[in-house]
Amino acid sequence: MTNRRSFLKSSTLLGFGGTVPTFLGRAAHAAPAAGKPGAKDTILVVVQLTGGNDGLNTVIPFKDELYYKHRPTIAIPKDKIFGLKNGLGLHPSFAPVGRLLNDRAAACIVQGVGYPNPDQSHFRSMDIWHAASTAENLTEGWIGKALKAKSMPAFHLAAGNEIAPLALSGAPARVPSITSLDDFQLRTGGANGKDNQAQKKIIEDVAKGDSPMGPPNLLDFVRRTATNTYESTERLQQIGKTYEPKVPYPTSAFAGRLKLTAQLIDAGLGARIFYVSLDGFDTHAGQGSLTGSHANLLETVSASISAFYRDLAERGNGDRVCVMTFSEFGRRAKENGSHGTDHGSGAPMFLVGGKVKAGIVGEHPSLAKLEDGNLVHAIDFRQVYATVLDKWLGLDATAILGKSYKTLDLFA
Amino acid sequence: MARDATTWEAYSPSAKNPWDIKKVGHLYRRAGFGATHAELLQGVTDGHEKTIAKLLNGTAADPDFDRTSEFMASERSMPAGTAGVQLAAWWLDRMIRSPHPLREKIALFWHNHFATSIAKVANARYMLGQYRLVYTHALGSFRELLREMSFDPAMLIWLDAKESKKGKPNENYARELMELFSLGIGHYTEGDIREAAKAFTGYDVKYGKMTFTEKEHDGSSKSVLGKSGDFKGADIVEICLAQAACPRFLTRKLYAYLVSDTDVPTAEELEPLAQMYKASGYENGKLVETILRSNRFFSSAVYRTKVKAPVDFAVGIVRGLEGNVGPLNLANAMASLGQVLFAPPSVKGWDGGAAWLNAQTLLFRQNLALSLTSTEDTRFGRRCDPVVVLAKHAKATDADAVSFFLDVFLQGDVAPDARTKLLDYLAKSKTAKYPPFWSAEEVQQHRMRTVAHLTLTLPEFQLA
Repeated sequence: MTNRRSFLKSSTLLGFGGTVPTFLGRAAHAAPAAGKPGAKDTILVVVQLTGGNDGLNTVIPFKDELYYKHRPTIAIPKDKIFGLKNGLGLHPSFAPVGRLLNDRAAACIVQGVGYPNPDQSHFRSMDIWHAASTAENLTEGWIGKALKAKSMPAFHLAAGNEIAPLALSGAPARVPSITSLDDFQLRTGGANGKDNQAQKKIIEDVAKGDSPMGPPNLLDFVRRTATNTYESTERLQQIGKTYEPKVPYPTSAFAGRLKLTAQLIDAGLGARIFYVSLDGFDTHAGQGSLTGSHANLLETVSASISAFYRDLAERGNGDRVCVMTFSEFGRRAKENGSHGTDHGSGAPMFLVGGKVKAGIVGEHPSLAKLEDGNLVHAIDFRQVYATVLDKWLGLDATAILGKSYKTLDLFA
Repeated sequence: MARDATTWEAYSPSAKNPWDIKKVGHLYRRAGFGATHAELLQGVTDGHEKTIAKLLNGTAADPDFDRTSEFMASERSMPAGTAGVQLAAWWLDRMIRSPHPLREKIALFWHNHFATSIAKVANARYMLGQYRLVYTHALGSFRELLREMSFDPAMLIWLDAKESKKGKPNENYARELMELFSLGIGHYTEGDIREAAKAFTGYDVKYGKMTFTEKEHDGSSKSVLGKSGDFKGADIVEICLAQAACPRFLTRKLYAYLVSDTDVPTAEELEPLAQMYKASGYENGKLVETILRSNRFFSSAVYRTKVKAPVDFAVGIVRGLEGNVGPLNLANAMASLGQVLFAPPSVKGWDGGAAWLNAQTLLFRQNLALSLTSTEDTRFGRRCDPVVVLAKHAKATDADAVSFFLDVFLQGDVAPDARTKLLDYLAKSKTAKYPPFWSAEEVQQHRMRTVAHLTLTLPEFQLA
């Protein structure tokens, strides 16, 4: 008869504990068979650019005179453009991502992304992107549904007072929103550090404790889950203290959230999905050109993503990660009277990662054929989601999105 | 182990399987949301017959509880636009204070069975209406419940029946009626669903009431599960109820809910229960009573073979500590534990069992236990204070305190080293250093609250 000790030991070898705890779920034994997409514990980092990023001043058709005609005061001068290989260019502040594309073949631009009958309300359009649906009532997010399809650890790296996004709702258990590693620890009510340690030790020890002989049962499962949990949180606190990025990160709070993401990945907790946001893209007035508020935002996003990717690559995780940016809409083609831009539609998305197929997907939307002054989308954002779900995470995109969308050629 | 012909016969205590505090605790966890100290002692004194009857029938109605709860559920207090978490708080409060916890527990079973979420229904009045439906029939007739549920406004919205019109029927309700509500997979065909869907055309919700529009109803003849006729929705419900699979499906699900996550009875073992259930005309109360009285229910094979649902965990702590917490704060804490009442994750309801526990939910359970036992947490403050409960029951010494908490929460049934560790902590903490401004009384209170929290973090406490 197998005794409990040996059961616990052998179950550890089966992937329940040790180096890859079943953090937040059943990740360890839920991995798809080798060779399938998602087999290698691929990671998706969703970056939300809140407020409506001005796509036209991010990926710039600088050879098109209409661009300069539409944007007399905020256009980027031709000679300052960061050149890409096909006649397009990037805002120079976005050069860090451009260099990932040109030099390291680790970035992809999907152009002219949107959806039919674009909505110009921030909230409504954001909900549509989050739910991957234009239905009237939107209550579940596309990532929440993905987590329902397959239980995977996920984290929302939140700014101070940022609430959990709709994209994550519908998950079997709420995706934790964390602002720092401190959020994810076992709390005790000790009078001081020593007391806290004594209490933690009891909690950990009683979790390990031996049960009476008998067939393995539910109590063993609780003990194992508890022990794994405490080890994981312990490890999180440790990596918080010891993590040394391989490349310097910018000092922004956004970069800090990506750094925290890198720490969580490095901890080997099995987390597969991360969600990070940066607010401030609603540039209605004085958005600037070469410099100014929009340039600063682009600098923040691209330098942080670049540092994040290079840090991960140095640690051998570059091929496991895919960063995907999106914004609820792009902005009007023509600048407004306040040297800014109003709400628009079709805009680019960026993917960064070692296995991302470097290059540009789709055509830049025409500057001549506008709809209500807006760029017209050619690629539905759900095609990008479907590709990421199917080809990157190895999930059934059609079941999750409720409809079949034509996938794109985004991964090498 | 009672796996023979006597498995469903009524348990009566024996020298080998006596009626004791563990049995009382077991009964209160499964047929309610956990016992208080007084309930445990009373249960032992009263014996099994009287205690089981008390759980089945509830104690005398509490007019004050009824009035307050009714008032809180009035349209003025909870209009249609009320947030789901407020509804959840309202129900949690009922679970904590109801004189008839079994009825709430079985209402929760039906809520999980019909798994309708405010996330889509988006109307607190409709959700409350559906709660009333499951509460009314919790221990009554499943036949009535299924009939009424099929035309319940929240359900009509939840499963798109209100969109279903002649010529373009929506199959959602017909499918879940068979797959999830009455028969289970394998007991119907896709053809049955398509045909049944036609019968459910023409229904809608107007001004909070179900309406039926003849010209939007497909009046043609349908053929469903071997029967043919120009059926309406109610006829399909009857056809489902008449299937042999129906009582079997429900009996198995209720057994898992009340008795065990891990002990899976064979079809032969369950058959007598299913037969009895069907013969009774789907009297839920009778099925529940038979299960709760049975040898099987009180056998060691099913003891602590369920993972507590988050509501069992949270409500159990509050009841055990005789707390009076603000239910809204409690309801807000439940999302991190993975169970938001009135918002099940999908039409399948909560998976339950082992799926309740993972690193995140376990961590947040342990941290919620700390919040409830510490008086430092602004959400619960002193409204749930272990020190107050100890004083109330005149437990003055360290040994008394450890025994008290182990009894209330675990009926003393833990590995011996767990008890030793708690006593060790209390012994060492007597002479430990504390902030100089703490009074002797504050030190004592701190130690007592800590030992309450540590008790709740024992792995055994995760099991029902």
